[in-house]
Amino acid sequence: MSDPEMIKKIVDAVTIPVMAKVRIGHFVEAQILQAVGVDYIDESEVLTPADDEYHINKHPFKVPFVCGARDLGEALRRISEGAAMIRTKGEAGTGNVVEAVRHQRAVMGQIRQASVMNEEELYVFAKKIGAPFHLLKETARLKRLPVVNFAAGGIATPADAALMMQLGCDGVFVGSGIFHSGDPAKRARAIVQAVTHYNNHKILAEVSENIGPAMVGLSIDSNLKGGNYADRGH
Amino acid sequence: MEKRTVIGILALQGAFAEHKTALEKLPVKRKLETLLVKTPEDLARCDALIIPGGESTTIALLARISGLLEPLREFVKVKPIWGTCAGAILLSQEVENAKKGGQDLLGGMSITIARNGWGSQVESFEAPLEVEGLQNPEKSFNGVFIRAPVILKLHPSSDDPPIQVIARLSPGLLPPALASPDHSDEPKIFVALRQGLHFLTTFHPELTDDNRFHDYFVRECVFTAKR
Repeated sequence: MSDPEMIKKIVDAVTIPVMAKVRIGHFVEAQILQAVGVDYIDESEVLTPADDEYHINKHPFKVPFVCGARDLGEALRRISEGAAMIRTKGEAGTGNVVEAVRHQRAVMGQIRQASVMNEEELYVFAKKIGAPFHLLKETARLKRLPVVNFAAGGIATPADAALMMQLGCDGVFVGSGIFHSGDPAKRARAIVQAVTHYNNHKILAEVSENIGPAMVGLSIDSNLKGGNYADRGH
Repeated sequence: MEKRTVIGILALQGAFAEHKTALEKLPVKRKLETLLVKTPEDLARCDALIIPGGESTTIALLARISGLLEPLREFVKVKPIWGTCAGAILLSQEVENAKKGGQDLLGGMSITIARNGWGSQVESFEAPLEVEGLQNPEKSFNGVFIRAPVILKLHPSSDDPPIQVIARLSPGLLPPALASPDHSDEPKIFVALRQGLHFLTTFHPELTDDNRFHDYFVRECVFTAKR
C-alpha cells in the first residue's frame, strides 16, 4: 500500500476514479484504503503477498475489488471471495504482453468449453478447475465472466491494448508501459484511443504513429513459460 | 419495409453495452436499429443518441480527440439525446465541481448539475424512485446511483421548452452537505428530467432489468420527434 497522504493528493488532483493496490491477503491495508476513500482496490500480486494462503474476504467491504487471474478457475475463486472485477495477471513491469495473452486465452477458452457442457459435465469441470459450481454455471450461461474483465500486466503499445480487447477483455490497465516509455503523455493518449477504437484498423494505424519509443520489452524467461509475479496467489 | 429508427449509443467509454442490450429487449425493438457510435460517420447515421454513464471528463476528452465534440453539439440542437449519469452532466448547461480549468459540455438542457454529488465510489447506493412520468407509476423503480451527479438548478428561459420531472428521490437520501435546512429539497431530489427532445437520468437504468426508462425515451422523445 502506498502512503495514504499521496493517495489523497492524487484523488484531489484528478476527476477520474482512483484505484490503489493492497498486498494479497492484507485486509487491514484494504480497511485503510476504504477509509481514505479510494474508488477501487487492486489486491495485487505485484506487491509482496502478506498471506501465502488466503486472499482477502472481500464481501464485508463497500469498496469494489479487482483481482488477478490466470485462468477461469482462479477468476471464479476470486469472484466467490467478493471480487467485483477481474484482470489478467500478465507479467507486470515487463512491457511483454505474452503472459496477459496467455491468461486471457485461458479464461476465454475455458468459458467456451463450459458453455457447451451439460450439468453433469459442469460438476466435473468445476472440480477440475477448482471453481464454485454456481459461478461456473452462471458463466457458462452468460458465455463470459459475470463481472468486468480487464487486461493487465505487460501492455506497452496501442496494438497490445487493441489485441487484448479483441481477445475479449472489457478494458485495459497500463502502468509501466506508459510511465517507462519515451513520451508517457502521448503514449497514454494513444493507448486510450486504441481501447475505444479497438476494432477500427485505420484509427489503430493512426494512433500508433509517432508516439516515441515504447518501454523495452523484457523477456520474462527463456522459454516464456510462467512469470515471476503471476505465480503469487492461486 | 419501413426504415428502422437508428438509436446510437455513444461508445467512447462507460456503460454503453448495457444500453444496447436494454434497447434490444424493448417491445418496439423491430422498429429500432441500435448502433455503437465511435466516429462522426457513425453519428451521422443516428436519429437519436444515448450518452451512457461513465466518467464525464473522460467521455468529453475522448469525444474531442475523436472529432465528435462539434458534431455532437450540432446533433443536440436538432435530435433527441438521453444522458445517463455522466451523460446527464454532458447534457447540462452548467456544471459545478467541474474539472480544474473547466470541462466540455454539450448543453441541451437548461440546468446546473454538480459532479459526484454524493462523493466517491463507496458512497454509491441503490434506492427506490417515485416515477410519476413513466408507465405503471405506482410501481417504484430501483435507481442505481454510482458516483452520481446532483441537479442544483433549473433555469429555462421563456424560449426554452418546459422542464418536466419524470422521477424523484426520497429527500432523506440527499447527502448531508446538500440537504436544505428548510426542507426545500427541490430540485436536488429530481433524478430524471425531460426538456423538449432531451431526457436525462442521474442514475443507471441500463443496469436493471426494468426497461421503463428506455421505453419512455423511445416512445416520448424519439418517436414523437420523428412524427
